[in-house]
Amino acid sequence: MNRRDFLKTTSLACGAASLSSWSWADEAAKTPAVDKNQLADLAIRQAKKLGASYADIRINRYRHESIFAREQRVQNVSRSHDFGFGVRVLLKGAWGFAASPVVTADSVRRVVSQAIEIARANAAYQRKPIKLVSTPAVKAHWKSAFEKDPFDLSTDKKVEFLLALNEAAMKAKGAGFVTSSLSFQNEQKFYASTDGSRIEQYIIRTLPFFTVTAVNRSAGDFQTRSSLAGPKTIGYEYLENYPWLKDAEKAGQEAVAKLKAKPVTPGNYDLILHPSHLWLTIHESVGHSTELDRALLWEADYAGTSFLTPDKTGKLKFGSKLCNFYGDRTQPHALATVGYDDEGVPAQRWPLVKDGIFVDWQTTRDLAPLIGHKKSNGCLHADSWGSVPFPRMPNVSLEPARENVSLENLIAGVDNGILIYGNGSWSIDQQRYNFQFGGQTFWEIKKGKLGEMLRDVAYQSRTTDFWNACDGLGGQSTYEVNGAANDGKGEPTQANAVSHGCPAARFRQINVLNTNTKKT
Amino acid sequence: MLLSESEIKSICDQLLGHSKADDAEVFVSNDDYSHLRFAANAFTTSGRRENASAGITVWIGRKRGSASANDLDAASLREAVEQAEQLARISPEDKEYVPTLERQTYRPVSGYVEATANLALDDRARAIDSIIGDCEKQKVIGAGFHHASGSASGFATRHGNFHYGRSSLVSLSVSARTPDGGSSGYFLRNHFDIAKLDTARIAREAIDKALHSRNPRTIEPGIYPVILEAQAVDDLVRLGFDARSADEGRSAYSAPGGKTKIGEQIFDQRLNFYSDPWHPELPGSSAAQAGIPAQKIFFVRNGVLENLHYSRYWAREKEKEPTPGPVNSILESSAQPATLEEMIKATDRGLLVSRFWYIRNVDPRTELFTGLTRDGLWYVENGRIQYPVRNFRFNQSVLELLGPGNVEMIGASERVSGSESQGRSASLAPALKVKAFHLTSPSDAV
Repeated sequence: MNRRDFLKTTSLACGAASLSSWSWADEAAKTPAVDKNQLADLAIRQAKKLGASYADIRINRYRHESIFAREQRVQNVSRSHDFGFGVRVLLKGAWGFAASPVVTADSVRRVVSQAIEIARANAAYQRKPIKLVSTPAVKAHWKSAFEKDPFDLSTDKKVEFLLALNEAAMKAKGAGFVTSSLSFQNEQKFYASTDGSRIEQYIIRTLPFFTVTAVNRSAGDFQTRSSLAGPKTIGYEYLENYPWLKDAEKAGQEAVAKLKAKPVTPGNYDLILHPSHLWLTIHESVGHSTELDRALLWEADYAGTSFLTPDKTGKLKFGSKLCNFYGDRTQPHALATVGYDDEGVPAQRWPLVKDGIFVDWQTTRDLAPLIGHKKSNGCLHADSWGSVPFPRMPNVSLEPARENVSLENLIAGVDNGILIYGNGSWSIDQQRYNFQFGGQTFWEIKKGKLGEMLRDVAYQSRTTDFWNACDGLGGQSTYEVNGAANDGKGEPTQANAVSHGCPAARFRQINVLNTNTKKT
Repeated sequence: MLLSESEIKSICDQLLGHSKADDAEVFVSNDDYSHLRFAANAFTTSGRRENASAGITVWIGRKRGSASANDLDAASLREAVEQAEQLARISPEDKEYVPTLERQTYRPVSGYVEATANLALDDRARAIDSIIGDCEKQKVIGAGFHHASGSASGFATRHGNFHYGRSSLVSLSVSARTPDGGSSGYFLRNHFDIAKLDTARIAREAIDKALHSRNPRTIEPGIYPVILEAQAVDDLVRLGFDARSADEGRSAYSAPGGKTKIGEQIFDQRLNFYSDPWHPELPGSSAAQAGIPAQKIFFVRNGVLENLHYSRYWAREKEKEPTPGPVNSILESSAQPATLEEMIKATDRGLLVSRFWYIRNVDPRTELFTGLTRDGLWYVENGRIQYPVRNFRFNQSVLELLGPGNVEMIGASERVSGSESQGRSASLAPALKVKAFHLTSPSDAV
């Protein structure tokens, strides 16, 4: 995942540090009138006439606002909006796709012809014709859950928030640098297909982030501590309801403390993973391994395949009996939550791992028939009007314990272990077996009690070994939803926003290494 | 059809003409991109996208505002200028403002080929069909990604500078797997000239790697001598030489006492890392940061850290010259290069690494990276490849990898592209034989 990827602007970008509200009325006045239904009718009529067995058009507008600050300086304020359309056609079992930012009837005619031309060129050589499962035609409008639309609010207020965050982060003596950013995303998506669907969706996301750096210049050493909470599908109220300033102040203290923290001694430890950390382990080891396109080798050239294969469905012991994972595109405030996916399939919640057994996949309309499924789980997504939609991860979340188990209860069950907060470095192999994760802060656990801060910690494990070593889950009180807005996959690579809800969890005897190779 | 120099100049002039700001810089870019993917020996997705954008940054006094649009009609350009100026008026002063450049002279580069930018769809489909046919004949399962693009861009300043450039790129990666899922191979190359992209070789190398990796054995993790193919070197060696973070004490190039490592020998004395916009195999842009004419510049020469990258702002703060690059990346030996075969012959015991995957920075103080071997790993003993082995996770400092005493043999540099870039990046890198490489745990992945 690359944070810079989603900050790229393609259509309209503005920079300033103090700007009044970007109002819908102002924007609407400057936006050429586009009758999406009329253009959709035209595209679908023409695609059918040219021989497409299926066609869809997505006419989408994306708005971004981002503010970057460093210490007490605002480095940039950028706003963008990106508008265009993409047409996908299926002709003789081959896909064709074309897209343009020029949203006019003439352009639609031209782009449909281009998509048909691409599909026709490929169909002549297609060995395994693509087939789709059906989905009911839908006419719907859907809006994500938020209270305050950030695009209706003053930029001044957002800049003030970021500068206050930086001030709090630098209160600790020795916290020398802080970089922070605050981004908002709005997707306005229109989808129409030869099935007869017409769907409009409006999605708002809020994405704060900061990193504090403490430097020991005489020793040539430095340490960082980044924010623990992640982006969400939520409005501006996220900045008011979460204790951002408190976490920034604590981050400054912890960055300084990390300079003098005790180096970890490599070996096997019991781990307590806070949900601010565990979401990423779930993402990499559970989320990606249960993608059916990977298992069927469709991503073999880049992202990789999966250790899971269709014959293991309902049989493989993925984890301990405590492990219940759900694919969920309905979870409130989670990043992959939508009303419908990018081929008109309604959002769903379904089990992927039940009582530790792997039971189901993430599917789309062209993947589902390949394993005998009659319907899609609704996982098709494109990150732009100009991107080919393809299978992307829904929110994949771990159920908490039914009992009221606290973080302290989990710690009490550990004789020699480490508690980890936040996500640091991460890496996993192309079939999702072997992984290594770092974190933001690490705390020693001795005889059931929390001890001093550790540093240079990373753990390595194997997916099924790791989840089978899970012997304790926190209850609902420890449950959090965290995620990332820029999960990369596909060729050309596309960003996907996805969250993972989970409680704190305990894992027995995991291999921990010391990552410091610095010779001092 | 890409915008010509006169068309881009005209749009730049319109943007600058609309602005009354004290200083301004404008840009125009457009591109035409298409791709075809295949997997499981069949075509999967294919598409084409066109796009264009124009933008302006203005300074009123030292207050800055910027705006851009992908509508290039006169009204949209005027609106972008008005918006930028409106934003500048309500912005705080830009503390890092440096006046835009006056007219500069650029020595042309040649990185655009019409046939690459206007690739024929049928030709591509036929070429990929041929690769799938090869995979079927060799009884492997093929997957891959072919993309081609042309782009044109230009920028101009209030103070009279103007630059125009065009580039093209075509790339193909092929992965091959045996049907039992027990072995795999991969090969990637790209070029600005489609005539120089050897698609048959790319397919052959990927298939051969898969076939030669069957029945891998398990060996213990540990510190091994390794031979890294040029692809593996480019995947792992990601060198950034930012002066500001080094001066601030938070980079691998910071030294104790608030100093930097400039002048220190950080790599093997045969290694050079430099940027050269006119390299015939790897042309870079003729314009470096903020429009400074690009020059050939060494960051590491004979293993010694010679330069760090100074932005125009940081150069002014530190009373240095701003750095005219990098505009490309060349890692090269100043000694007679060794072939891969010579490296294998010179190895008593070690591993041959085809490429790396999922490489992430673990410790920026030492440029320690973790990641995994992928698509070809073989055990070498007594000067011969003995057998394929299962993959490993590594944790390796790049500074230690290239450091004095660790590098034994260096190959001739060739044009490669980082496999995690999907063929978008390009650099020149050599194969390397090194004494010690840290493989920390086994991976079952194929």
